[in-house]
Amino acid sequence: MADAFCSDCKRHTEVVFDHSAGDTVCSECGLVLESHSIDETSEWRTFANESGDNDPVRVGGPTNPLLADGGLSTVIAKPNGASGEFLSSSLGRWQNRGSNPDRGLILAFKTIATMSDRLGLVATIKDRANEIYKKVEDQKSSRGRNQDALLAACLYIACRQEDKPRTVKEICSVANGATKKEIGRAKEYIVKQLGLETGQSVEMGTIHAGDFMRRFCSNLGMNNQAVKAAQEAVQKSEEFDIRRSPISIAAAVIYIITQLSDDKKPLRDISVATGVAEGTIRNSYKDLYPHVSKIIPNWYAKEEDLKNLISP
Amino acid sequence: MADTDQVMEPSIDNPFISSPALHPRPTLQNVVSTVNFGCTLDLKAIVRHARNTEYNPKRFAAAMMRIREPKTTALIFSSGKIVCTGAKTEKQSLTAARKYARIIQKLGFDITFNDFKIQNIVASCDVGCPLSLVRMSTFHGEFLVYEPELFPGLIYRMKKPKVAILVFPSGKIVIAGAQKTDEIFEAFKNIYPVLMSFRKTK
Repeated sequence: MADAFCSDCKRHTEVVFDHSAGDTVCSECGLVLESHSIDETSEWRTFANESGDNDPVRVGGPTNPLLADGGLSTVIAKPNGASGEFLSSSLGRWQNRGSNPDRGLILAFKTIATMSDRLGLVATIKDRANEIYKKVEDQKSSRGRNQDALLAACLYIACRQEDKPRTVKEICSVANGATKKEIGRAKEYIVKQLGLETGQSVEMGTIHAGDFMRRFCSNLGMNNQAVKAAQEAVQKSEEFDIRRSPISIAAAVIYIITQLSDDKKPLRDISVATGVAEGTIRNSYKDLYPHVSKIIPNWYAKEEDLKNLISP
Repeated sequence: MADTDQVMEPSIDNPFISSPALHPRPTLQNVVSTVNFGCTLDLKAIVRHARNTEYNPKRFAAAMMRIREPKTTALIFSSGKIVCTGAKTEKQSLTAARKYARIIQKLGFDITFNDFKIQNIVASCDVGCPLSLVRMSTFHGEFLVYEPELFPGLIYRMKKPKVAILVFPSGKIVIAGAQKTDEIFEAFKNIYPVLMSFRKTK
């Protein structure tokens, strides 16, 4: 239902779009305003387990505005039944010689897609990471930099901008070969480049321990009560003077909560789920211990349980 | 709203805060300066004849010379330029640079003392109480960078004077990048009320 100008009624009338015939019809006089409209939705549904030669899709993938030509890709296909060497012969060589200006971009996008799949990120974050990478690539100064670290940092920034931050260690685990330091440096570089280009508009909030609570808790398989208690505890702990990284505080809080509950998780499990070293969790536990009665909510654990906590 | 019984809390509106007698004073930690001696130097000869000099050309292209008073280190390059680090005040840096010039002169090179310039002054200070960096970073401005995962301190780049201030949650701060001592004190005067408004009580 939309409004358009009908030439018969000579005024704006309500217009109905008939999907089955592809007609735009005026609802007052019945005049067909536009016919043969092209349906741009996808023709076939694609499922993950379907593959093989019988792919009925005729139009290729969705247009990607980031690529130079919108992602048009016409390739010379291997004829059915021919061996692999056909492609490396003359036709195949013609295919590959035309230098694709976007080859680096496409490769980078593919790497970002692989990394985000490994982390289980939504397409929004992946697309944002692609945008960030394109913006950085436009300024040629990023040539000499470590590509892996740059892509990982793009993903890191994209996660942050969508308010779903991932720790640098998590990004490290899916980025091949980039160390925490390199990703950190690449991130600073990208932020500076984006600031130069768009006049200081890089919006990135600081990370809080609470952002990671849900994910760490579900990785460990804690029950709902424990998760809620952990989130409250982390909120309260921000008021105290604890000079530790928020991730370490989160890990220590999880440790306390699990020690108070029935299924006590060993330090090693928490260390693996959060990426924080066991020694760091122990030290953060030492820092948190004096305030533990004020941090843990009353409905979750009573005073005696708190007394039973191991004194560090 | 009579607060007569309460102790006067330092705040931006409190007139006492502007009195310099009340707030702490940054102490200079390091002054880095450069001088041009105006002639090419033979580093191998210098290292042979001077005491307290090391030269490892495979590792770094300059010779490192140290003097005891003022306690400084100089990187001497074969182009004749030197970098003098470790002095505690601007004056000491100048004295030290002149001493290095004297030493090189005595070794037989024709020295002129050109373009002495202080490149960097670093100072540290303690505001006395823990600070909440998270709250400070939400107040933001494009000047702040706070990445607790990467570095525990908050980096504040002040535009005027152009210095970088590292703020740590313990309340200790480091001011670096100044070219004159006055810039350090001016920067501290600017940043002190801001820091005090983000104190962590308890």
